[in-house]
Amino acid sequence: MIALPEWLSCTKESAGLASMLSSGPAYDLESLAAESRAITLRRFGRTMTLYAPLYLSNHCPSGCAYCGFASDRSSKRRRLEADEIERELLSMKKLGVTDVLLLTGERTGVAGFDYLRKSVETASKHMQRVSVEAFPMSVEEYRALAGCGCTGVTIYQETYDLRRYEELHRWGPKKDFFHRLETPARALEGGIKTVGLGVLLGLADPLEDALMLYRHVRHLQRTCWRAGFSVSFPRMRPQAGGYTPPFSVGDHLLARMIFAFRIALPDTDLVLSTRESPAFRDGMAGLGITRMSIASRTTVGGYGDDADNAEQGQFEVFDDRTAGEFCNALRARNIEPVFKNWEPAYNGPSSVNPVRELQPEQRECR
Amino acid sequence: MDLLPLGSYTFSSRLILGTGKFSDTRTMLDAVRASGAELVTVALRRFNREQMEDDLFGPLSEIGGITLMPNTSGASSAAEAVRAAHIARELSGSPFVKVEIHPNPQHLMPDPIETFEASKILASEGFIVMPYISADPVLAKRLEEVGCASVMPLGSAIGSGQGLKTSGMLDLIIRESTVPVIVDAGLRSPGEAAAAMEMGCAAVLVNSAIAAAGDPVAMAGAFSLGVVAGRRAFTAGLMPKSGHAVATSPLTSFLGKEP
Repeated sequence: MIALPEWLSCTKESAGLASMLSSGPAYDLESLAAESRAITLRRFGRTMTLYAPLYLSNHCPSGCAYCGFASDRSSKRRRLEADEIERELLSMKKLGVTDVLLLTGERTGVAGFDYLRKSVETASKHMQRVSVEAFPMSVEEYRALAGCGCTGVTIYQETYDLRRYEELHRWGPKKDFFHRLETPARALEGGIKTVGLGVLLGLADPLEDALMLYRHVRHLQRTCWRAGFSVSFPRMRPQAGGYTPPFSVGDHLLARMIFAFRIALPDTDLVLSTRESPAFRDGMAGLGITRMSIASRTTVGGYGDDADNAEQGQFEVFDDRTAGEFCNALRARNIEPVFKNWEPAYNGPSSVNPVRELQPEQRECR
Repeated sequence: MDLLPLGSYTFSSRLILGTGKFSDTRTMLDAVRASGAELVTVALRRFNREQMEDDLFGPLSEIGGITLMPNTSGASSAAEAVRAAHIARELSGSPFVKVEIHPNPQHLMPDPIETFEASKILASEGFIVMPYISADPVLAKRLEEVGCASVMPLGSAIGSGQGLKTSGMLDLIIRESTVPVIVDAGLRSPGEAAAAMEMGCAAVLVNSAIAAAGDPVAMAGAFSLGVVAGRRAFTAGLMPKSGHAVATSPLTSFLGKEP
């Protein structure tokens, strides 16, 4: 098996985080929560930036064991056409959304790069901030997306456990672990301003995955110093195909992870989606999380009046409150829901390519 | 009257407020009022004409007695900051711009090269330019030379609440500057604001220390008092510092006058 890069396997880098993730008496949960809360308040204030996902297509050639859109699942396949995308965006705008995350499956002829680029162009006309969570692309493709108004790319490694990755990604382009691993760096080299990283908690040992995720973020922060970063903590939710994850991540462990990441990465956006329950999301607001999705649909489209509520999404949404209900819950906690926290005047590819990190022999393991 | 001159404008308050990070617009507006600030800064990225609930510009433009200073927070290059300044002037009608360019979104330290470039362009276009910079005395002079109305060096990292970590450099900047020096970022307490004013800063800009306080409105009032006290102390003239004790009654008076 090919070895992991040195920056990903260097445990010295993540020793502080590892201590916080271990549930020993030195780091009790309440103390971590208090420190995490204080850092969040100081750095981000009493605000929560909101976004919403828009699934453009569920066509996918990959056979990921845990995904509702895998090619052997019986989901009805479709993609949104330009006029449908416009309608969906207008419906989202009525909810107040100005920050959209466009999602597709892995690259197919039906929903490939050109389709995604045109969709970004359409979204940029209506939204203040457009990000994509799609398939790994080349530097040139990312540069073209940035030129059309895409500022963010979300790409989860899903798990950093090579053996588990191999087992879970049964076929298709997503099987290439290293191509995916290098995707955030390619996106940033192409001029994308912000990348979102994460692991799908439950696929492999969550603590190991969390430490590798942290090392990945730190490596990118050092090599691409102009970039913004966000880290997500998605837990496995019931989805089509009925996959049962081998590891369960309880609320206490997830909360510990979020607090520890906030302390270890005090300036990085931490994201919590509607996969989580209303009670957990409300409780975590102000304690470390700075970015949340609202009123999410995980079906293709789904925001318009003609949405098919019986359609199966990529995963089940747990927090199904309306945008208004969710905002009121934030306000009740003395947190301002912020719909616009970006300015299109700042769009366009970043002007300078990231600095390449020194080769392992040229620097010490941190 | 002890007024703060900025471009062709003058202000009687020497406390400038930032408007992000508050839990809601009403608290922010109440804090602005309680602070007595006449100049407040607002990020262009928080102008939201479509979703009035989280828009900061609309409500601020409706309260009287304040001048808005849009800022370019979020810009990572001179080109982006210039573009943002043009849009902000179009939307707000304000001639002020706070040039804020931080290419690293993690620590938010200002980029001296891009800040200089953007400030030079915007000053030549007639903006009243207020650049946010590290406490660098040479950069401060260079910005003065290209027509900036003030310089805004940081006391410590944005949102850190670490106070006047850069006081040595601030001292140099104040001593050499011919434009008002405004400490921006890092202050945590009214006492630190007073200390900055006592040093000779012309004003201070505060956001996190008020927005993240237990009672933001009360803290805004406290900062106002701190700034006034510090300014009065500066204009009154502090006694000189000495490295050794100086007795109120001289110890050698019994010797009589030295021949």
